[in-house]
Amino acid sequence: MERELKVGYTKALYAMVYREVIRYKRAYSRMLGSLLNPIIWLIFFGLGWASLFRENIFREIFYGLDYITFLAPGIVMMAIFSASFLGGVSMLWDREFGFLKEILVAPASRSASLIGKSLGIALTALIQGILVLLVTIPLMSSINIYSLLPAILVSYIVSLGFTSLGMAIASRMSSMEGFHLIVSVVMMPIVFLSGAFYPIDGLPNWMSILIYSNPLTYGVDLVRYLLTGVYSIEPLYSLFGVLGFTLIFILISTYLFHKTTL
Amino acid sequence: MDRNIVIRVVDLTKRFGDFTAVDKVNFEVEEGEIFGFLGPNGAGKTTTINMLITLLRPTSGEAYVAGYNVVKEPYRVRSKIGVVFQDPTVDRYLTGYENMYIHGLIYGLSGEELKRRIDELLQFVDLYEFKDKPVKMYSGGMIRRLEIARSLLHIPRILFLDEPTLGLDPQTRAKIWEYIKRLRDEHNVTIFMTTHYMDEAEKLCDRIAIIDHGRIIALDTPENLIKMVGDEVVHVKVRGDLTMALEKLGSINSYVKDVDIKAGQIIFSVSNSAKAIPTILEFLSETGVDVEEVKYHKPDMGDVFLKLTGREIREDEGSWKDMVRTVMRRWR
Repeated sequence: MERELKVGYTKALYAMVYREVIRYKRAYSRMLGSLLNPIIWLIFFGLGWASLFRENIFREIFYGLDYITFLAPGIVMMAIFSASFLGGVSMLWDREFGFLKEILVAPASRSASLIGKSLGIALTALIQGILVLLVTIPLMSSINIYSLLPAILVSYIVSLGFTSLGMAIASRMSSMEGFHLIVSVVMMPIVFLSGAFYPIDGLPNWMSILIYSNPLTYGVDLVRYLLTGVYSIEPLYSLFGVLGFTLIFILISTYLFHKTTL
Repeated sequence: MDRNIVIRVVDLTKRFGDFTAVDKVNFEVEEGEIFGFLGPNGAGKTTTINMLITLLRPTSGEAYVAGYNVVKEPYRVRSKIGVVFQDPTVDRYLTGYENMYIHGLIYGLSGEELKRRIDELLQFVDLYEFKDKPVKMYSGGMIRRLEIARSLLHIPRILFLDEPTLGLDPQTRAKIWEYIKRLRDEHNVTIFMTTHYMDEAEKLCDRIAIIDHGRIIALDTPENLIKMVGDEVVHVKVRGDLTMALEKLGSINSYVKDVDIKAGQIIFSVSNSAKAIPTILEFLSETGVDVEEVKYHKPDMGDVFLKLTGREIREDEGSWKDMVRTVMRRWR
């Protein structure tokens, strides 16, 4: 009976998406700053190795691709991952600046507010990823234009998952102090152990275990498959991996947010 | 005619570990009333409000807001109340209008009606011309006004204000008081507010509950509370031992109704200070007590609090905290 009274679910969802999009639009500097980072990786890291791997024999390592084309989807996914994960953790600011109270005391369903916020942040992360992709396309030797749309869809699901993960972590943190720890302890390994920079076959056992338990691995491999046609995990399995991890993270963050009081 | 009770609190208690923040509090608030919770910092005011607005679960006891149980029916309660918290809860990157718009949506409003109400309310708090400016450019007083306007968007029956004028300058405080009065008079909104400012409680509230160490120690209209103290109050600061002075005070004359020693001063409740002061001074000098300072004034809530608790509400303590708060806000 109590549930029926909760204010329109879609209105609350829309309100939260609206908020995140406006905030994103208004923070030009943040947008440009986070665009710069992947481009630096792509050019100073990517082009450096690419000129060493120029010879045709190296193409075998990268499933027949040149290094930049192999790397580009990984960099796009890295950008999406950082934007969505940090966006989720930024819920800490809502607590710090009090906006969280405004949401907690509203009659709107809490899961609507939370999922709305995730949808909004994931959307801004996706826009960020698309901007990075636009910069990388000229450097790539080939790209499957027809799979662009499915690739964007997959990217959105991945970014929804990492936004939720960021939020789940934020709801367990009471202050900003752990923030930098999380950035270095959680984010760096997830990026490096995702297959974004190098192929993931033939690695030592312990590393493979870490790589296959990393949610980002499936996103990187699936998007690389869609954009360039090469893969190391069966695309269907990757799709299950992406969907499964995202679902789990959404459930965890919703559960934790419901328990939030002040 | 019986008036409607919109808040009913029965033996409400909140404990944090060993510390009892709110201790078996009982009161009722009638529809259309401005009801004040007055007490020093840490008395349990905010804890009480947080339980009434469903953000904090009581340890024991019950509370009904707008007829609904705050623990069992939180969503019903939330749809009937408006809340202005002590610290800002606006999104600083959004404009005033956008903050209002989002609030409207999460309270189930939309469309033309929502837009019309936002415009109306922004005009009510004189912020219409700043509606498209990001809130981070607003002053503290403007933010408080925006939050008051925002809390009215969904036409709440009861408005909760936690220290509505904390840290604001006198002019802005007067303005906020005016809005609060007009809300009650023009829109018949019941107002539950907390404050540690004596003058605010006295000027604004129809009834005041004085709360100290988590307990309500007095609850009445400001007039009746002040009557407890007497018509006029004379404070006398004396040199030397106060207990000595008290022994000698006995009954002085017919103008003095009550004598008390609180906070290092002798406090006389008198009916006519012009007649009473000379006799008091004469009496004290005859008995050999050295008078250092004499003050008299019409009694106010400060005297009531002093009489009830033996302590003053340390307003300077409050303002020190306000200062830190303001600095912290700026620093962010």
